[in-house]
Amino acid sequence: MHVLVVDDQALNRSLLSVMLKQQGYQVTTANNGIEALAVIDSQSIDIVLLDVLMPEMDGFETAPKIKQRSEDVYLPIIFITSLEDKDSLEHCLAVGGDDFIHKPFDKVILTAKIKAHSRTRQLSLKAHEQNAQLEYHYNQTEREHEIVEHIFNNALENQNEFSNNIDFHLSPASMFNGDMLLVAQSPIGSLYCMLGDFTGHGLAAAVGALPASKVFYTMVNKGMAVNDIAHEVNTVLAQLLPGHMFCAATIIELSSSSKSISAWLGGLPDAYVIDQQGKVLKTLESQHMALGILEADEFERALIHFEVDSTMRIVLATDGIIETTNEEGDYFGEQRFIQALGSKTKVDCHDVLEQVAAFAKGSKQQDDLSLVLFNCLPVPASHTEVESYSPLPFNFSLSLNSAQIKQTDPVLEVVDVITRVSGLKAHRSDIFLLLSEAYNNAVDHGLLGLDSDIKNKDDGFFEFYQQREAALANLQGAMIIIDIRYCPESFCLYFTICDSGNGFTAMNSNSENLAREHGRGLSLLEEIAEQVSYNASGNQIEMCYKLI
Amino acid sequence: MSLSKTASADGTTLTIQIKGKFDFNLVQSFRQAYAEIGDKTAKVVIDLRETDYMDSSALGMLLNMKKTLGTSVDAIHISNCQPQLKKILQISRFDKKFDID
Repeated sequence: MHVLVVDDQALNRSLLSVMLKQQGYQVTTANNGIEALAVIDSQSIDIVLLDVLMPEMDGFETAPKIKQRSEDVYLPIIFITSLEDKDSLEHCLAVGGDDFIHKPFDKVILTAKIKAHSRTRQLSLKAHEQNAQLEYHYNQTEREHEIVEHIFNNALENQNEFSNNIDFHLSPASMFNGDMLLVAQSPIGSLYCMLGDFTGHGLAAAVGALPASKVFYTMVNKGMAVNDIAHEVNTVLAQLLPGHMFCAATIIELSSSSKSISAWLGGLPDAYVIDQQGKVLKTLESQHMALGILEADEFERALIHFEVDSTMRIVLATDGIIETTNEEGDYFGEQRFIQALGSKTKVDCHDVLEQVAAFAKGSKQQDDLSLVLFNCLPVPASHTEVESYSPLPFNFSLSLNSAQIKQTDPVLEVVDVITRVSGLKAHRSDIFLLLSEAYNNAVDHGLLGLDSDIKNKDDGFFEFYQQREAALANLQGAMIIIDIRYCPESFCLYFTICDSGNGFTAMNSNSENLAREHGRGLSLLEEIAEQVSYNASGNQIEMCYKLI
Repeated sequence: MSLSKTASADGTTLTIQIKGKFDFNLVQSFRQAYAEIGDKTAKVVIDLRETDYMDSSALGMLLNMKKTLGTSVDAIHISNCQPQLKKILQISRFDKKFDID
């Protein structure tokens, strides 16, 4: 402890110095207020003993200046005074003094007072240090929250893209939301919506939203079914979350025609299908355990599947709404929720939440509160990027012998190779169809001479493929040649498929029969391809397919 | 290429999902998928969301199924078709015989 003794009398200074040094205190002295302030500015002082009457600057003037210099930490000032009158003592306290010592000094009292004030000083120093630490940690946490909030916003908030279809309200009980709303459209145009409620609330509850959303978006992008998405999210959460945490969730998919809904329901309160008046047409009860609990092999995939029309709306909510309590401790409950939904035509989230708030009457929000009104309206097609057509004229040729024809099913592999040419991927289903029909015709009728009439008999379809298998096993000395030419100038694909068989004409000159043998396949080819022609002997087909 | 089937929670809907290509290679497993259909099943959904390719043999298999099931189910839906496959179904007039969604 460092004590500053301020007194204009040399005798007093040395007397106090000696007494304090004996007690083990470090002592510095000053003749007046100006000197005292200079010491305080340059050294660390813990206690000031201050004389009242001094030349240059007296104690009354010095005390407030000392206090000003030590705003953060308590610096005790003990006045040394021979004044006895009440007014003077009051004045001492008013200007910032904390205590008095009367001259002549009583050693015992002086020591006791210095001890008491140095204790307070030490406490104040400690408190100051802790405050500084606290502030540091607070700032650090704030900064970390800002970063995490940024990540969450970028990872989750794209719900506004589908404002026609989805009206929603999310109000977290704290900065981070343990409820999660994900919305996305698949490549074929169906609209997916997932509402999840993680155990608890705040940041701890919200962390699971990051991996869950990543799985959701990836799988929607592949157009997967809702139970497959649920299965995958479950696997990821079961692996990542601690045992006591899980995510109650509902995942729904509105088909691209907007005529049907599939839903996987795991642990959220009842969802409802309502009409424009808010009347409940159907209640969708939870079917499964929440996500993140069951092992992958125990997971239940069963879905709910139902038809909808454009006037129908699906209501999803987390338990925050029905479990909102009022001052009496009553729950808002399902009954009031259903009434709120029917309180007006085309009710919106705001209307419902107003009723929840009116019920709660200012009671503190206990849990994250989320509501989604999903309109079963057609979804505008998503914008897909179109690959540009390659300017290079590729040629592809493949010649298959009997062994290869027996052992392989080359169509898909050929399609995979051809669609590597830039621009052709978008046509892969058509290219597959053309090749599959032509190749299988060449095998079934050209090489094997099978009769399609079998297919028309009861169970003949299956029998046909049994016969095909048997005939294929005996195939010898046969050949099929596939030729494909991509013409970038005319944006056409030319296919030639030639087989070593006897040809249709040789087998049967009746052109009516020829059409029947090809049947459905032939008419499909003619619709998909720009042009289809056969050579005179009937063992070669040529097709032209226009890309644009 | 693979085929999977799932019954809905209430057992009234059978969903058959086909991944990759839908052609004659599936002739047996497709037939099996609906062979032991329960009395409760009122609707069959052929989910083509993951089907990239199909040809006329797939069309034949679908017609075969319709013939086999007859009136024992209320509806057969072909759902989540990619645009090119939908075109194939429409060209073949399948929209007259099936609910294409």
